[in-house]
Amino acid sequence: MRIIPRLKCLALAGALVGLWVGIATAAEPPIRVGVLAYRGGDHANAAWEPTVRYLAERFPERGAEMVPLDLPGMEAAVQARTVDFVLTNTGNYVELEARHGVTRIATLRSSRAGASGAAIGSALIVRADRTDIREVGDLKGRTVMAIDPDAFGGFQVAWGEMLKAGVDPYRDVKELRFSGFPVDRVVFAVRDGTVDVGVLRACVLEELAAEGRVDSSQFRVLAPRTSPGFDCALSTDLYPDWPLARLASTPEELAKAVVVALFQMPADHPAARGGGYDGWTVPLDYQPVHALFRSLRIGPYRYLREVSLVDIARAHWEWLVVAALALLWWAIHSLRVEHLIKVRTAELRSANRDLVREMAERRRAEETARERQKEMDHVARLSILGEMASNLAHELNQPLGAIANYARGCTRRLEMGTGEPAQLAEITRAIAEQAERAGQIIARIRNFVRKRASQLEPMDVNEAVRAAMSLCESRARGDGVAIVLTLADDLPPVLADTVQIEQVVLNLVVNALDALEGAQTGAPEVTVRTGRDEAGRVEVAVADRGRGLTDEARSRLFDPFFTTKPGGMGLGLSICRTIVEAHGGHLWATDNPGGGAVMRFVLPAAGKAQPVGNEEQHHAR
Amino acid sequence: MHADTNHAGASRIVASRIVYVVDDDPAMRHSLAWLIGSLGVPVESFASGEEFLRAVRPDQPGCLVTDVRMPGMSGLELQDTLTRAGSLLTVVVITGHADVPMAVRALRAGAVDFIEKPFNDQVLLDRVHEALEQSHRAWEEQARKDHVRSLLARLTPRERQVADLVVAGKPNKVIAAEINISLKTVEVHRHNVMEKLEVGSIADLTRLLIEAE
Repeated sequence: MRIIPRLKCLALAGALVGLWVGIATAAEPPIRVGVLAYRGGDHANAAWEPTVRYLAERFPERGAEMVPLDLPGMEAAVQARTVDFVLTNTGNYVELEARHGVTRIATLRSSRAGASGAAIGSALIVRADRTDIREVGDLKGRTVMAIDPDAFGGFQVAWGEMLKAGVDPYRDVKELRFSGFPVDRVVFAVRDGTVDVGVLRACVLEELAAEGRVDSSQFRVLAPRTSPGFDCALSTDLYPDWPLARLASTPEELAKAVVVALFQMPADHPAARGGGYDGWTVPLDYQPVHALFRSLRIGPYRYLREVSLVDIARAHWEWLVVAALALLWWAIHSLRVEHLIKVRTAELRSANRDLVREMAERRRAEETARERQKEMDHVARLSILGEMASNLAHELNQPLGAIANYARGCTRRLEMGTGEPAQLAEITRAIAEQAERAGQIIARIRNFVRKRASQLEPMDVNEAVRAAMSLCESRARGDGVAIVLTLADDLPPVLADTVQIEQVVLNLVVNALDALEGAQTGAPEVTVRTGRDEAGRVEVAVADRGRGLTDEARSRLFDPFFTTKPGGMGLGLSICRTIVEAHGGHLWATDNPGGGAVMRFVLPAAGKAQPVGNEEQHHAR
Repeated sequence: MHADTNHAGASRIVASRIVYVVDDDPAMRHSLAWLIGSLGVPVESFASGEEFLRAVRPDQPGCLVTDVRMPGMSGLELQDTLTRAGSLLTVVVITGHADVPMAVRALRAGAVDFIEKPFNDQVLLDRVHEALEQSHRAWEEQARKDHVRSLLARLTPRERQVADLVVAGKPNKVIAAEINISLKTVEVHRHNVMEKLEVGSIADLTRLLIEAE
């Protein structure tokens, strides 16, 4: 591949064009020139068709054709190598150069170019009467209009200038608008006051003025500067004009031939005039354009916007160190906190275990105490019943004896044949009644001595008194003591265990009977009175005319195992007080005026006060 | 209850004999009356000693069956009261088995018997029957004594003096000399005594006067 061109070069150095024609004639397609049609295909045709036709004329064997392309199309064509040359604006060229290795071979020589050949700059214009805007820095907070974000002279050059003055048009101005083509829209917007500042490619204002479409005296150019040989108003540096570039794949010979052809174009050639330029010159230095784009981070330098972590790290390493230290501190702190939580949790768990164990123990102790109390109650009931055993036997003997008498009376009459059926029937009914009576007595005794858990229910204290009487009246009868009941009939119910209250009443009455034994009184009697005290509680008073209480007895009355009776256990009153207090009541002793003693207890009426203990019923059987 | 009976013990009982039952327990009282009624004697029952005393004159013959333990007046107190009033009633006391000392007191106080509960019906009925007999005997004796006393009441003091001396075995002469009256007068008094006291011999006179002691 290298040898062939070199041979051609050597052999045909003198007749380059002729040889080229010969080769071209053989097979080669027309030279394809991609042209940036930033304002549409028609405009591009009008501007650049004469230039392409010029090339076609210079390469008659091959011909040349123009391919109008927009910016994406341009990139695609270069990538696909469907064109041989590109004719594009300065910005686009820089990008293609960087990305696809296109190389400029000639630069357009503008008719207005300065001494350096560079011809593209920007002019920032304001209305002449806007004296408040003088420097580029004054653009902050103003409305700014430009042609297009991709317009090189029409925006990007000015953008660079603004950044230099510390104004980022995308951030610091009040509003940034893009008008699109035609460019005179910008001029009119500034003239009409729609925007504060307009951005134009340098020389546009002069061209419009030359066409008579605007009056340039109405405008003022910000930060005006001059460039040698460049006679348009200017706010920025100047940059090279459009280049013609070859693709990396375009043959060297062809490129050379095209450059020669272009350089030979006279300034007044119709092609130059059609394109608005003065012909072609050597390719200029596009490095300033690179510098500009880098600072703007556009074109090939767009990647600079995608800031890498390394960039950040490099720029902000102090903060990273601080952050790392903070992270480290946080991690240590977390570990420490976690450790503390673990330790504390363990402590709590252990405390909890202790608590649970303690509660279980307490529950066990309470249960034991309750069980013991139950036992005590039971023992006390057995004890008091034991004291009355003979009386109870007598009590039971009454109905049994009656039954025996009835039955024998019947037998004898039947044997003698004197029994009248009606009479016998009456007696057998009486027998049944007495059997029932005996059964009830047994049931009462059994109920009284049964070992049982306390059961609270609304009950009538008078009922408990009557039940207690049924157990002790035979004793009273035996002693020849009358028991006088004075029961109030308007008592509120109390929340209590019936058997326990019965037990208390029985105990008090038996104590009274004991006190009367041997006492010389005319008509021995025990009075049981129920009623309500001033506080609305139910009161039961058992009064006797016995020996009364000695001082010692009074002070030790409720002590367990204190007794004045020869056979007594001394548990009765102690347990009575426990029972009454468990029902939220109170038991005490007073002297009976005129001799003897009165034992009283009060119980709260149901609903007025809750009992303080024994309320648990879960172990009731 | 007044029905005639073939029973050996009951056949000799006259209608005037009566049994009183005192017990505070209604069932016991009623059943006792029913049982004792099977003897064919009339039975009256009372709930307390006081009630009984209000209703029954103590000089009547009969049997009193009472429970010893009662409120108010006890069985023993009732018995005491009757004894003090010279009652002819024979008392049968019914006690519980724990009341032996009381029963002893009752016996000493003159009760015919005590019966411990629970008792055998035949024992009770025998006791009641016995008591009725005893009471009846006492009543007859009393009645005889009363008769003798009424006869003696007919005598003048001098006649009574002569009767006593006759019974003492003194001859008429000695009597006349002792009380300083004539033998003739002694003979008249002696005749009058025999007449008034309706006796035919000295032996009868002697028995009568002893009975009247």
